[in-house]
Amino acid sequence: MNSLNPPEQANGRPLIQVERLSKHYSNGRGVIPVLRGINLKVNPGEMVAVMGPSGSGKSTLLFILGLLLPASSGNYQFLGQDVLNLTRGDQAEFRRRRVGFVFQNCDLFENSTVYENLEFPLVYAKVDRQERPGRIAAALEKVNLGHRIYHPANQLSGGERQRVAVARALVNHPRVILADEPTGQLDRQHGNMVLEHFAQIVASGDTALVIVTHDGQVAERCHRVFSMEDGILYEN
Amino acid sequence: MRLSDLLRVSILQLVRHRRRYWGVMLAIALGTAGFITIITMGRDLKENFNRDLELLGRATLIKVYFEKLPAYSHQRFNESTLEALRHLTGVRSVSLAVHAWTQSNHQGQLYPVTIFGVDESFWEVCGLSSQKGKLHNLEDNTVHKRAIVLGPELARTLFGNDNVVGSKLEIQENLYTVTGVLKDVGLGDLRQFSFIPFSTAQDRIQGISPANRIYLRCLTWDDVEKVAPKIPKVIQASQFVQGLKVEVAWDQVNRVKAVAWWVELFIYSSVAATLILGGAGIWTVMMAAVRSRTREIGLKKAMGAEDQAIMAQFLAEAVCLSFTASLAGSFLGLVAVEVTSILINSHPGQGLFIICVAMGLLVAVVLGVAAGLYPSLQASRMEVVSAIRYE
Repeated sequence: MNSLNPPEQANGRPLIQVERLSKHYSNGRGVIPVLRGINLKVNPGEMVAVMGPSGSGKSTLLFILGLLLPASSGNYQFLGQDVLNLTRGDQAEFRRRRVGFVFQNCDLFENSTVYENLEFPLVYAKVDRQERPGRIAAALEKVNLGHRIYHPANQLSGGERQRVAVARALVNHPRVILADEPTGQLDRQHGNMVLEHFAQIVASGDTALVIVTHDGQVAERCHRVFSMEDGILYEN
Repeated sequence: MRLSDLLRVSILQLVRHRRRYWGVMLAIALGTAGFITIITMGRDLKENFNRDLELLGRATLIKVYFEKLPAYSHQRFNESTLEALRHLTGVRSVSLAVHAWTQSNHQGQLYPVTIFGVDESFWEVCGLSSQKGKLHNLEDNTVHKRAIVLGPELARTLFGNDNVVGSKLEIQENLYTVTGVLKDVGLGDLRQFSFIPFSTAQDRIQGISPANRIYLRCLTWDDVEKVAPKIPKVIQASQFVQGLKVEVAWDQVNRVKAVAWWVELFIYSSVAATLILGGAGIWTVMMAAVRSRTREIGLKKAMGAEDQAIMAQFLAEAVCLSFTASLAGSFLGLVAVEVTSILINSHPGQGLFIICVAMGLLVAVVLGVAAGLYPSLQASRMEVVSAIRYE
């Protein structure tokens, strides 16, 4: 098992480099392949879209990139470091320090305020209590929700909830944001607003975005678009 | 995850899901209050029960006297012996008595009477009270008063009724004023006896025995077993005596203890059952919480929460739940102890109460950990993706 290197600059290296990545499940009667020999390179400051029909393996790829699922075979290097063989603790650390997730269902902690929702990643990263309000406010400002900081999460509109989820993904300054259908449940106007925020964040140059979507208009706003079919990834 | 964050998050969760938890908290609070009240008040209640029980029997009365042989008939107990017995642990009070068989004369009618010379402690020691008039006190003994208290049966035999306070009775050419009549409950032979102050008996009754009879009352029936074997040693350490007899109503002690054992077993079982139910309740609500918060667990893991952090959070919630309930139970226990103290006129030790509260809180923490451990382990072992996709 490897251990996670300290955060470092890309220095011209790709942020994500995946080679011959495969994932399959066994159900007792045989092996079901989900991902077959995926190759993917994502550079800092890049917005990458992965499109494809349901069940094609898009979300599985995203989960493997975020180390939420183990791969069956292949290589995955993050800033030059092999991260597929990290210990369970280092995988958690990787998610804390390098990755921000945004899911389709605007998954906020319903019984908490916006502040508390954004505080959890900082709590797990053991960020000092004094430092937290500033970082939370800054993350909320990036999605124009600074005025909602102490609002109960369950009283926000759908668009606001997804923007809070984006802010929560940003609060620990991740190197990559992995977004699974982030605009799937939003109307066009709110969807555009979320995409606009993503574009601004990526424009800073340090952070990359990998977005899984069905929506061609969402994909159009990305620098590169990939299609996934039967577990094989093609660049469009 | 820092401890301060862990506690803050856990307490917030409890407050926000309070409707889910209040039933369990109530069970634990009542269990803790019961535990504190029973332990703190147990001895006082037992003492009170014991005092009341004297009306029905003599379970905790110990009688000390000499064998009825001519060789031992001159022996008497010293005041220092009495004092040493008073200081024995588990002894409530001690009384010294003398007695004689003589005749009384009421309006020319002669009647044989058993007369006891008793000190002011005698009534408490033997659990006696008056139905009419009053019983001899320290002053009566100090002034060698010619006052007599009659057993109710003797009063009726001599005077035809028991409204005899103020009547006169002649014994050995001395006139005694009847100052009281004993209450006719659980007296046994004492119904037919008469009682005069100890000092008066020694002064005025010819043929009175030496001070050869000690009555000793223990605090509880548990103390009888401990006190009885010590009595001969304490007496021998104070004075040389022969033919000493220590009489204990073992049959009554054993019967009372058997009844008390069952009562205590029932009470402790009830408390234990309440706490076990509370523990089962914590287990159930925490399992339900883990199930209903599966997506939350998945999200937190996706944010980088380690397995230990998830486990610590659910465990802390379970401990906070039982600890808060126990704290509320301690307050209820305090109220119950205060009310019971007023009702039975007792003053339980503060130290014992504090120990009970500390034990209650400790048990609550152990209960919280024990009942919350499995649900917390379940939460920490969840696979992230299946947790996030849980509907």
